[in-house]
Amino acid sequence: MRKITLQYFAVLREQAGCSEERLETAATTPAELYEEVRARHGFTLPLSMLRVAVNEEFRDWSSPLESNDRVVFIPPVAGG
Amino acid sequence: MQPFAFSTLPIDTARGREALADPACGGYATFEGWVRDHNEGRAVRRLEYEAYAALAQREGERIVAEAVAKYGVQRAACIHRIGDLALGEMAVWVGVSSRHRAEAFAACRYIIDEVKHRVPIWKKEHYVDGDSGWVNCERCAQPGEHQSHADHAATPVADRSHGHEHAHTHAAEAHSHAAPDFSRQIALPEVGAAGQQRLHAGSVLVIGAGGLGVPVLQYLAAAGVGRIGIVDSDVVEASNLHRQPLYGVADIGKSKAAVAAARLRELNPGATFDVHAERADAGNLVDWLARYDLVVDCSDNFATKFTVNDAAVILGKPAVFASVYQYEGQLQVYLPREDWPCLRCLWPEAPRDGLVGNCAQAGVLGPVPAALGAVQAMQALKILLGLPVESAPALHVFDLLGMHWRTLKAARNPACDHSPRELQVDAIDPAALELEYPTLAAAFASGLTLVDIREPWERARDDPPGPIEWHLPLSAFMQGSTALPPEGRYLIVCAHGVRSLALAGHLRALGYPAVYSLAGGLAAVGA
Repeated sequence: MRKITLQYFAVLREQAGCSEERLETAATTPAELYEEVRARHGFTLPLSMLRVAVNEEFRDWSSPLESNDRVVFIPPVAGG
Repeated sequence: MQPFAFSTLPIDTARGREALADPACGGYATFEGWVRDHNEGRAVRRLEYEAYAALAQREGERIVAEAVAKYGVQRAACIHRIGDLALGEMAVWVGVSSRHRAEAFAACRYIIDEVKHRVPIWKKEHYVDGDSGWVNCERCAQPGEHQSHADHAATPVADRSHGHEHAHTHAAEAHSHAAPDFSRQIALPEVGAAGQQRLHAGSVLVIGAGGLGVPVLQYLAAAGVGRIGIVDSDVVEASNLHRQPLYGVADIGKSKAAVAAARLRELNPGATFDVHAERADAGNLVDWLARYDLVVDCSDNFATKFTVNDAAVILGKPAVFASVYQYEGQLQVYLPREDWPCLRCLWPEAPRDGLVGNCAQAGVLGPVPAALGAVQAMQALKILLGLPVESAPALHVFDLLGMHWRTLKAARNPACDHSPRELQVDAIDPAALELEYPTLAAAFASGLTLVDIREPWERARDDPPGPIEWHLPLSAFMQGSTALPPEGRYLIVCAHGVRSLALAGHLRALGYPAVYSLAGGLAAVGA
């Protein structure tokens, strides 16, 4: 199990009802982690529309997760 | 003797010579500028000089000090007349004493050139035919008819006469001491007089004059950017004012781009403002952007943002993007470099407008786009000034409710060739996708199958009874659901008609021949 700090933006923040949470997970990649929290929070956006940053850097969805990673899921926004 | 002085009386050259005399000096060079009897083909009777004293005095002293330091001369001074001058009178005098003649000549030349170039002095020519007009002396510290070489290269010849008119307008403003004074930014070592010239020679295209665009336009105009293009096809609406305080209630119903240009001209009468009261699209953007140094994207939709990205990539021009969502904002700069990511590197699947977010996404507090717009203006000024924009490419994510600013490092995506891809968004006219009905029953009676795409939590909160056959949340479509048979005739419904319109367009593009969106959503129909 890995301890992860997760941060949500925009519509994900609304749907999660919080902007940040800490959790323990068996997920080994950001893609697995998103599946896990998507089911729990009822996220409506598919992974293909999001980007993920780990420790302040954009990563591939299949990159490995480490304990104490900071993960941010970011949807695109367009308001002006 | 003061190094730089204005005089309302005839210049006493003997006193100047005396003040500069030094036993260590072997040379003394002077320059005198006289009032001549013609200018640009018109016979001149007399001249009137006026200076913007607060700025001119400091700038003049700075120039003399620069000459002394640069050429190592012993002493230097400059006196400029103000007020009424007759033909043949001396308007300006420069004196330099030094050990050897070469430095004396060079310093003298430097001082007169820089004074004519940088010190804000205007002259009013009274012509023999009784007419008169204010003429900007050379470039002065601000705008004028003499633009930099870079600007000449980028500006079609036809524009130059326009620039000349601006010089006259500007002189008139200066006459009432209303000209902008950039001294507080010139004082910054990163800006300086040379930087101010770069800003004046610079040009920026701003896409969108809304919540982000207003502060971008205001700060770029106020900083002295020489030419600004304003692209916005909208008119001012009452609901805009809380976050777009450039406009007032009297402007409601007027073209945003035109009103913005008029306000910005008040801020800097010497700049040029181009009004493009049209929607930016793939057909016009490349032509427009070709005439500017960079683009600032303040649009409110993905289709425009990606078109701006493509135009910037095609032309190799920098682009400063920002977007807001409620209390959050995202900011990204594209620079035309091999190793720098574009918008498509970050978002390979260009999002379709309306499919991300929800129907309530229009909510926003004014300071959120204002903060992001101010940062965009800062990035644009840095680009024009030739300053480093940021140490590495990044997406900056601001959360002004929680007060977080995260800098997420972004890299060029090897799978992205930076080439524009066809946007399907405009392939189908949205007007052809929307249908209006007074009730859901009426829609049903017309033979359409009703598909409710609201999420389960929305339906739990508010589920109007009606002949809805399908409950398929938008998220299911986004996950690739193929539950809906393509051959049916469908009316897609959501809360306010934003998501349903986007999904209808999406499904048409996927080959569904008869899919429509309920205009205004459930909020617009009776039970």
